[in-house]
Amino acid sequence: MVVGSVVKGCQVVVIGGGPGGYVAAIRLAQFGKDVIVVEKRARMGGVCLNEGCIPSKALIHAADVAFEAGHAQAMGVTVENVSVDLAKMVQWKDGIVERLTGGVSFLFQKNGVEVVAGEARFIDDRRLAVATEDGVIEIEFSQAVIATGSSPMGLKGFEVDGETVIGPTEALSLQEIPKKLVVIGAGYIGLELGTVFRKLGSEVTIVEFLPEIFPTMDPEVGKTLKRSLKKLGIKVHLSHQAQTLESGSPAVVIAVDRDKDTTLRLEADKVLVSIGRVPNASGLDLEAIGVALDDNGFVSVNEKMQTNVPGIYAIGDVVGGALLAHKAYQEAKVAAEVICGHAAAFDSLVPAVVYTDPEIAVVGMSETEAREAGHEVVTGSFAFKASGRAMSLNSTDGFIKAIADAESGLLLGFVAVGKGVSELIGEATLALEMGAFLEDIALTIHSHPTMSEAVQEAVEAALGKAVHQVNK
Amino acid sequence: MAFVFNFPDVGEGIHEGTVVEWLVAEGDVVAEDQPLLKVETDKAVVELPSPKTGTVLKIHFAAGDLIHVGDALIVIGDAGESVPDSGKGTTALPQGSDAVSAPEVEVADQPATAVATGSRRPLATPKTRALAREMGVDLSKVSGTGSGGRITDDDVERAARGEVSLTPPASVPAAVEIPANVTITADGPVERVSLTHLRKVIAGAMRSSKQISAHVTHVEEADATALMAAYRDLKPQIEAEHDIKFSVLPFFIKALVECLKDFPMFNASVDEEAGEMVLKKYYNIGIAVDTPHGLIVPVIKDADSKDMIQLARQVADIAGRARERKLGLDELRGGTCTITNIGPLGGVFATPIINQPELAILGLHKIEQRPVVRDGQIVIRDMMYLSISFDHRWIDGAQGARFMTQFARLISNPNLLMARL
Repeated sequence: MVVGSVVKGCQVVVIGGGPGGYVAAIRLAQFGKDVIVVEKRARMGGVCLNEGCIPSKALIHAADVAFEAGHAQAMGVTVENVSVDLAKMVQWKDGIVERLTGGVSFLFQKNGVEVVAGEARFIDDRRLAVATEDGVIEIEFSQAVIATGSSPMGLKGFEVDGETVIGPTEALSLQEIPKKLVVIGAGYIGLELGTVFRKLGSEVTIVEFLPEIFPTMDPEVGKTLKRSLKKLGIKVHLSHQAQTLESGSPAVVIAVDRDKDTTLRLEADKVLVSIGRVPNASGLDLEAIGVALDDNGFVSVNEKMQTNVPGIYAIGDVVGGALLAHKAYQEAKVAAEVICGHAAAFDSLVPAVVYTDPEIAVVGMSETEAREAGHEVVTGSFAFKASGRAMSLNSTDGFIKAIADAESGLLLGFVAVGKGVSELIGEATLALEMGAFLEDIALTIHSHPTMSEAVQEAVEAALGKAVHQVNK
Repeated sequence: MAFVFNFPDVGEGIHEGTVVEWLVAEGDVVAEDQPLLKVETDKAVVELPSPKTGTVLKIHFAAGDLIHVGDALIVIGDAGESVPDSGKGTTALPQGSDAVSAPEVEVADQPATAVATGSRRPLATPKTRALAREMGVDLSKVSGTGSGGRITDDDVERAARGEVSLTPPASVPAAVEIPANVTITADGPVERVSLTHLRKVIAGAMRSSKQISAHVTHVEEADATALMAAYRDLKPQIEAEHDIKFSVLPFFIKALVECLKDFPMFNASVDEEAGEMVLKKYYNIGIAVDTPHGLIVPVIKDADSKDMIQLARQVADIAGRARERKLGLDELRGGTCTITNIGPLGGVFATPIINQPELAILGLHKIEQRPVVRDGQIVIRDMMYLSISFDHRWIDGAQGARFMTQFARLISNPNLLMARL
């Protein structure tokens, strides 16, 4: 026991109050467990609610409203002098964050989950030391769930100073629209935030190390997205490495072409670094209890979310895989149920959504993965340019592609690019989880006119029976 | 230090088997040589003994699982000790005192989250998959009866009860009571029973023998009257003296061995690659035994050097153990020629299939009283048909006829047989 510390006991301690941690805590409490959540932030909800999913989507929508207001002339709508008050927009966003994080605290209260504010580290495999404002509190537990999440990866020479160089967190709270924004990294965060500021009027340039956008996704995705980014006026420099930052007003980002011997000088009022995320696994003294990490520093777990140390579980970003809140939710429920003696295991497909313009949503296997898994593959696509609903939304970029086993017609995956496809991927995910065949979706009525008709059309195309496009 | 016990190479040719049952559970303390599990291989169920004393930390396969030589079967060590990597793609982790969750701990190579999209998944809904986890059913081993082969809740429940999955019942006439494992097809009710490992092995052996050998069967008749008289005379004396059940089979084994000495190519195999006939200078006689599990052929080694009493004792012993599936693998291998005694089951004569790589199989058929002509008179004799099925690729029909004539002669004149022993 740490000298002079307060000792608390509980059945399960959850480290981290983000989407993984708070769901695990609530589910455990529902099962009657005595639960303590240790959270170092002042507010619950982790990155997702505070500086991730929710605030970014609020700004994306607000930026869309501003952008569309100024770009509706073709529909006969002309709005003069659209003005954006970024400080007010951020304030509106903060209100949403406030409501949601408060909602988590309310649920904790109603479910009897105790919160200890502070940073945790393991003393041994049954005790945590939590550094709180009031000193160190020791928590004894039977089981622990590590749900500490991930943080933006740093880039040498571009250390976040909050002034010129910012990370995703700072980008969501800017008070002024930067005139010139350089985004380093064309991952989903860089693309989403780059699009927001472009729509709000910034001159946006994206520097990407790899030769393609989303190289692991269907090649059509990157192709469509590059076209759309160009249309929006976002410059993308692929195969470029951001090398140095010359300070000044504006500052200059020097980026080197990785293939040719050329250098770019990109003026920037702000530089947004979004090159990936790293697990928050250090600082917990995991080595003190022998929890095994993988080569990238993520905590290794099995499908029951168990680490190699009995009684120690880990969920969410800190275990790697897709760093997505909904994956953490599911893992949280699995961990809670396993702890309570249920036969749970993580065997779910994880859909992924990127809120670019147009949106990207994928689930299941890509065509390449399906072939690698030994399937004879059949695909069917439907382009939104042939969709009445897409036309009426004045948003015809994108497509839906269905990937299936050619022999049996078993659906294996979906790729979607287009306005609002984030809402369509739910149908696709359900279809895959239920083991649907092409015919199952082809024989399901999709209401007209909707974007979701494209799912049915894509599947019918795979069956060679499309009506609203010419069959191949 | 924990010890990983791999499925040992139990002998030539055996490279896989099926776990029949575990005789120990995780957490049990086992002594060296204590049987750990029963494994069904080729034609036997063998018990694998523990190579050391200790606590069972981890059991890797369940009953019904197919195992291959070298697979880690069980980890034995000190109670509470951590379990080392089994070295076959899964890592077992210790569960320790975390009794609340008490699940089986098996970690995939990658964290589970990375697995979700890549590999093929069982065709079952999330609800069915949850049910399978709850009932401890491995969905990869369940065949689905639902649309397109989907695994249904019923399939899982049936699998949990150890029943086989069936095609879904169509419209069943209300008045007819259909047992749970019978289904109605367009042509009528059918019952599907899953094939045992042994049955598949027999099927494979029979098919390949028929493909390999040019089977031909030569049948001869023997007058077993004198033999039966000798047998009836000896039986009570031997049984009283030796506490065994004396059957007539040892006479036939002895007669066969004598014939094999006269016709060595019937006690041979052929090395086609070398272009050589391999004439065996030992006489290991396989005895086909009809068991409830299927045909098993234990081998009586060095039958030439055993007397009839020893042979009778050994036949009774191996036949009994064959029925209980307790034969060792070495008792099933190394035969040079086989006897199948179909007589007690009826029939005139049969054409058995050669037990590869042997070249011949002797069929013994029923002994019954028939009227025959002796010295111009119709008399009643103990008659029987004898058959030799041989591989006509290597043995000519004339040789088969000569062999059979000689064999029938020894059976018909047991004194001639005795004279040679």
